[in-house]
Amino acid sequence: MATRKLGFVIRSLPYKTEASRLALTHAISSQTVEIYLEDGDLVEPVVCYIGDGVLNCLKGQQAAKHYGVTSIEQHARNSLLLDLNVMICKEDLDKRGIPDNALVLDAEDIGGETAAKVVPYSEIQKVMESVDHLLFC
Amino acid sequence: MGKLTIGCFSSLVGSLSLDFAVKLSEAAVQKGHKVDLWLSGNGTMLAKKGQKAFKDYSHLAKKVQELLATGNFQITACEACAEARGYHKDEMAEGLKRFSMDWYLASTFSADRVLHIGGD
Amino acid sequence: MKLGVFVSDFRSGSDVLDRLTAEKLGIIFVGNGVYHATVKEEGKSCPVLDKQAHFYVLTEDLESRGFTAAQVDSRVKAVTYSDVVDLIFNDYEKAIWI
Repeated sequence: MATRKLGFVIRSLPYKTEASRLALTHAISSQTVEIYLEDGDLVEPVVCYIGDGVLNCLKGQQAAKHYGVTSIEQHARNSLLLDLNVMICKEDLDKRGIPDNALVLDAEDIGGETAAKVVPYSEIQKVMESVDHLLFC
Repeated sequence: MGKLTIGCFSSLVGSLSLDFAVKLSEAAVQKGHKVDLWLSGNGTMLAKKGQKAFKDYSHLAKKVQELLATGNFQITACEACAEARGYHKDEMAEGLKRFSMDWYLASTFSADRVLHIGGD
Repeated sequence: MKLGVFVSDFRSGSDVLDRLTAEKLGIIFVGNGVYHATVKEEGKSCPVLDKQAHFYVLTEDLESRGFTAAQVDSRVKAVTYSDVVDLIFNDYEKAIWI
């Protein structure tokens, strides 16, 4: 039995490219990876937002209304609903003047029990050191 | 010898990042390593059969077939990404597979190294 | 951690590189990242090269853009795809692409 930790580091802006969306959907797919693994083996993702990537976490995204596509906000909420470990870089929020209350930090309204954490970059650096593989998006 | 898993979101045409992924795969296989190449997003277009070679565009289909023939290389495309782009299972190039995204994560589980090219 | 960073762009990525730390850091210029190793703006080398790291540039991408290894900053070593495979497996535990 083993667990492999994957660090998804999202640094891309949403929508213009698929990078952040695919980072989240790939991280969420960890929920079904067991079908390919031996009993007891796990892949555990950690999702970190840094740089411009923190803008993926804004609440109130209306991409579904205007373009008919699932918003990145919805994927972020789904990641929390599924108890993924999510971290958002505090310095990068502060630099852009984004307060915590503008962010998707939980998915309580859809039954989620896990909250995203706003953390200093040093915490994200520690995550990058601790995971087995890093996936920058 | 080790296993390298490469994930690539970049397009077949319009970016040379997918060329990089295939050339790196080739170099790794030549050194005796095993390589899994995962295609997602626009990268899935590499998996479609019937690609015509033009000098102005990247053409990787032939090289992919040569790599598959070594037995130390497998290439898998994201099923949903392919369907969203309008091509279906019967349009996959020979020897290429398609699965859902969890296949990629499973590949990373047993990989010694992972290089994720997360889009351009 | 021993980290290999593939730098594939010229104008973006410094936000990541500036604060990235690693016990052993390798920066591998590929794609348009090769301009970091070759272009001097206003006579100055790219500031990325002042970072404490081992620097490499992919020869194929260098030559594709009209440069030769002789034009590369002295701190940067020109490597082939084969060399890159060895760097990935032998020198760095993790690799990222920016």
